[in-house]
Amino acid sequence: MDAFAGLIHGFGVALQPLNLLWGLIGVTLGTFVGVLPGVGPALTVAMLLPLTIKLDPTGALIMFAGIYYGAMFGGSTTTILLNTPGESASIATALEGNRMAKNGRAGPALATSAIGSFVAGTIATVALTLLAPLVVEAALRFGPAEYFALMVFAFTTVSAVLGASTVRGLASLFIGLLLGLPGIDSQTGAPRFAFGVPELLDGIDVVVLAVGLFAVGEALYVAAFQSGLRETMEALRGSLWMSKEDWRRSWPAWLRATAIGFPFGSIPAGGAEIPTFLSYATEKRLCKRPDEFGNGAIEGVAGPEAANNAAATGVLVPLLTLGIPTSSTAAILLGAFQNYGIQPGPLLFQEQTNLVWGLIASLYIGNVILLILNLPLIGIWVKVLQIPKPLLYAGILVFSTLGAYSLHQSWVDLLTLYVFGLLGFAMRRWDFPVGPAVIGLILGPLAETQFRRALSISQGDASIFFTQPICATLLALTALIIVTPWLYRRLKRKSS
Amino acid sequence: MKRAELSLSLGVIALGLAAAAVTAQLPSEGGYAHIGPNFFPGIVSAGLVVIGAWLLWECFSGGWRSLAEPEPGSEHAFKPSAFVWVSAGLFLHMALIGTAGFVIAGTLLFACVARGFGSARPARDAALGVVLSLAVYLFFVKFLNVGLPAGWMPLPA
Repeated sequence: MDAFAGLIHGFGVALQPLNLLWGLIGVTLGTFVGVLPGVGPALTVAMLLPLTIKLDPTGALIMFAGIYYGAMFGGSTTTILLNTPGESASIATALEGNRMAKNGRAGPALATSAIGSFVAGTIATVALTLLAPLVVEAALRFGPAEYFALMVFAFTTVSAVLGASTVRGLASLFIGLLLGLPGIDSQTGAPRFAFGVPELLDGIDVVVLAVGLFAVGEALYVAAFQSGLRETMEALRGSLWMSKEDWRRSWPAWLRATAIGFPFGSIPAGGAEIPTFLSYATEKRLCKRPDEFGNGAIEGVAGPEAANNAAATGVLVPLLTLGIPTSSTAAILLGAFQNYGIQPGPLLFQEQTNLVWGLIASLYIGNVILLILNLPLIGIWVKVLQIPKPLLYAGILVFSTLGAYSLHQSWVDLLTLYVFGLLGFAMRRWDFPVGPAVIGLILGPLAETQFRRALSISQGDASIFFTQPICATLLALTALIIVTPWLYRRLKRKSS
Repeated sequence: MKRAELSLSLGVIALGLAAAAVTAQLPSEGGYAHIGPNFFPGIVSAGLVVIGAWLLWECFSGGWRSLAEPEPGSEHAFKPSAFVWVSAGLFLHMALIGTAGFVIAGTLLFACVARGFGSARPARDAALGVVLSLAVYLFFVKFLNVGLPAGWMPLPA
């Protein structure tokens, strides 16, 4: 099915009243959790994952996708009014957005980020619509060796290249890979790392790990280190409307940011963080009044917010067409597909046309709903921000424990949840990224399967990974992105 | 050199060694691929040992690199009481959910966590906890047909 026919078909699915309702619930919930400091899309989707047994896959995934990009819209409200970036991808927005709010220009800052997110999200969805069938075309020719190489590439970029420290990123990834080991070996059926515990034969559930790291770990950390902290919220004064001048300065930034964000998201490298900073730097350099940067330049909000949304949509390209998640939320979305026994990849576009095109069409609809939710209804979300922290975190933990408990109705999952909470606390305190652990847990078993399939085909000859052109290129690229920064630092040190 | 960094580095090495010990018990024959169920766990174990050693080396040569530290001395100092309150809430919940039921366990969890975050109004917190857990209970049991333990409360199952 080509892109256009697919999309028409998809709108037919997404516009069914029930799917429309799931989409609406998803984007509203997404905006809500995006606004709440300390709750992100990864945690929300993870907490709702046990519900998948009760819902049909199309409706559930439309809702989860809505949460995913609804949170991107909602996050900017918190960042601008509270100056606490809910996620690393909002740090760049915080620089200028909060400054604008302090100058009494919170309205235009919120408007440029909401409209910018809409513009970038829509353009990126068009790009996704056009690009996905092409990637599928190429991916149909991929064998296990190519998939394995792609996964190694994704592992490397999410853990070793992005982030403050290569070794702490790798530590997080390998902890995730280790947690992915328990269960029945996919090739021989032998139990591994189960220690005779029946619960472990099913493997460690991504819900328990993600909720433990993101909710319990976060709550322990914030309680122990920041509960005495006073936050000041900027009031939403004056008009929401952007002046002619604001429009003139915003729209080129939106478009440039989309061009930066989407490609970054769609290569299996992931991370909305780098494109937001790249966009911020670009706008700062191109601005005719660079002195305004640091004092509330509207381009500094428009660019990073648009880049953030474009990258988030781009992440769906490798997720849907190759089955490779490159962010924690994408990894948990992959877990949702797996709960239904569906493996995203090129075959998804042939076997599940309703699901995949309905999902893509729902992104267009969701963007429009989100624009309405985030501009005229902004007053509601400002109220949400005023929930006191003790009640907020108490509520988060009631829902988190519920998510883990409803898996097997067993206190064992709650104990595991607490242990992962301690892990999350330590990782937060000593600055280990948690994303690679979640991605490792989900993607590790898939990578092992592809690796062993590739070797089965070649009768145990490991040279298969270096003689197939696509596979060899991907592995060479991986080596290159590891070696280049190290070499660069080496040379710089020598020359100085 | 910091004690915490040293013990965490050693912890990662120990995790790798423990994983290696478990891996050693796994079968190694694997048919056509010539590698068995122990191959990938072996790589993961070895990786953890190498990463632990790398962390240990950083720790002895000037400390872990580019670490974002909470500022000491300010309001960022570690508050053990808050940590204990939140943990106590989670353990109470774990112990009681099977017997006392979802609503009672959830209420205690809510009140303990709010206390840990500095709330000084336990009665209000408990009241909000009851309302929230009761609403969630009814929504799950009546609307989603997901069973939750009613425990000591006379609730519809």
